[in-house]
Amino acid sequence: MAERRRIMVKVNGVQYEREVEPRRLLVDFLRDDLELIGTHVGCEHGICGSCTVLFNGRAARSCLMFAVQANGAEVMTVEGLAEDGKLHPIQEAFREHHGLQCGFCTSGMLMASYEFLQDNPDPTEEEVRRSISGVLCRCTGYKQVIDSVMAAAAEMKGR
Amino acid sequence: MKLEGKYNYKAPQQVVWDLFNNPRHLEKAIPGCKKLEEREPGKYDAISKIGIAAVKGTYSGKFEVLDPEPPNRYRLIGEGSGTPGFVKGEGIIEFSQDGEGTTVVYTGEVQVGGLIAGVGQRLISGIAKMMIKEFFRKMKKELKSLK
Amino acid sequence: MKPNAFEYFAPSTVKEAVGLLEKYEDEAKILAGGQSLVPIMNFRLGRPEVLLDINGIKDLDYIKEEGEALFIGALTRERDLELSPLVKEKCPILAEAVSFIGHVPIRNRGTIGGSLVHADPSSELPTVICCLNGEMKVVGPSGERALAPEEFFLTYLTTSLEPSEILVEVRILTLPKNTAWSFVELTRRSGDFAIVGVATLLFMEDDGVCREARIALGGVAPTPIRAEEAEELLSGQVITEELIKKAGAEAAEATETEPDYHASAEYRKDMARVFVQRGLHEALSRFKGGK
Repeated sequence: MAERRRIMVKVNGVQYEREVEPRRLLVDFLRDDLELIGTHVGCEHGICGSCTVLFNGRAARSCLMFAVQANGAEVMTVEGLAEDGKLHPIQEAFREHHGLQCGFCTSGMLMASYEFLQDNPDPTEEEVRRSISGVLCRCTGYKQVIDSVMAAAAEMKGR
Repeated sequence: MKLEGKYNYKAPQQVVWDLFNNPRHLEKAIPGCKKLEEREPGKYDAISKIGIAAVKGTYSGKFEVLDPEPPNRYRLIGEGSGTPGFVKGEGIIEFSQDGEGTTVVYTGEVQVGGLIAGVGQRLISGIAKMMIKEFFRKMKKELKSLK
Repeated sequence: MKPNAFEYFAPSTVKEAVGLLEKYEDEAKILAGGQSLVPIMNFRLGRPEVLLDINGIKDLDYIKEEGEALFIGALTRERDLELSPLVKEKCPILAEAVSFIGHVPIRNRGTIGGSLVHADPSSELPTVICCLNGEMKVVGPSGERALAPEEFFLTYLTTSLEPSEILVEVRILTLPKNTAWSFVELTRRSGDFAIVGVATLLFMEDDGVCREARIALGGVAPTPIRAEEAEELLSGQVITEELIKKAGAEAAEATETEPDYHASAEYRKDMARVFVQRGLHEALSRFKGGK
């Protein structure tokens, strides 16, 4: 059995220090070691997108990374979107436009959209469709998700 | 999946027949074969270590030669299992004289199951065919070593 | 499932990595983007005893232009290739091909080196590098060597890398000014593995003649392949509709397609024909549009 490693990871602005086995997946580290259960484990092979977080500012599948790789890195999870208890505009938009039902894919949708809107603040609907194609949703049929992201874009542009 | 192929060997039919029934040579040609033992005449036990990319597995298997009609044809059945999955198959190998050489024709069916068949489904067919090609190619090398 | 327990090393130089590969040989796997390796480990299909995390070898992450070539470090992320102004200007077919790889989060981590060494013939990078005649620079204990695509890609998921060698760089020639290009692929959904992928380069003369044609196909053989007969048909010619149809048919003949859940062997072969034609149409219309 491999030795545990000491890692220092900043998650949502908070510095954490923990010991992990090298084989510990980042998503399991976030959920089980840090108790940040907003990120979900779906397929464990990178297809469903429900594990999506931001790793050093870029969206990444946390089920395809090991916690040891996050040593010295900055991670943002869905828990990092709201500020001082106030929902992020993307979260507000999802709430208003019914962008979620069971909520399993939602953190993936939110984190993927967060990065997408940073790169594309004024997207077309076609571009939004494409941007969420990496997160699978079994409930909404995607229309409300697209409406939510479009609404979020409009709201954030206005600011 | 259905498999079939044809290979030419530069030797008389009897020599090629004997080669394809000799565990010492089969052992060298079967992909990743670490051990091949003839338990009883026509019944073989094999252990093979096969690896592609990161997917490595040790498979233990059994073959049986049935309905032999020396030196023209025999039926082969086999199965093997290992951590990534299992393989089951049967086929017919036919030998015929072709001028100074021998043509070997095989037709058969192979089923691959278990984890590798589900996850690796996209590549299974191609990889299985590639391994069989490799076997027949290595048998050519074994033939050369007889001379 | 969760991966097996393994020894973990994070070398900070290529020399260190090669040393570790020499020590552990085929017990070790290199962890770069992890987008192909970690799924295999999560399924427990692959259980490497040792993982060499090369993400710390920052020296391997670069895109440089020197003379008429682009030099790309093996650790360069696919997303960086997609967005690089240098790649978009000097070798746009590469940026286009990369944009078809999975989805953004996958491209954020996936690397060009990892994709090439994984050598899945359905992947976009092996196909486009085959079209570009890219040169792979590989480093091992006995030094470095350069490999052309036909020397590098052996068969499904297999390259000619020795167990103690590591891919460090890919060198591609920048495209001359009058180049028509396209990358097209057939997938059921955006982001899926290609059923068929076609990379097309046409080096054009001023008088409308195609001096040299290059057509590479993915998903239709154990490695990416060049449709040589189709290329010969088009090279030195003004490309007509009739030639495009013939090229498609020739290219289909060059394939060795296999069936799977998504497509039969016959369908793949026929789609090779169709997508070679589409690739040629797109390349020519983009070229004319640019004039």
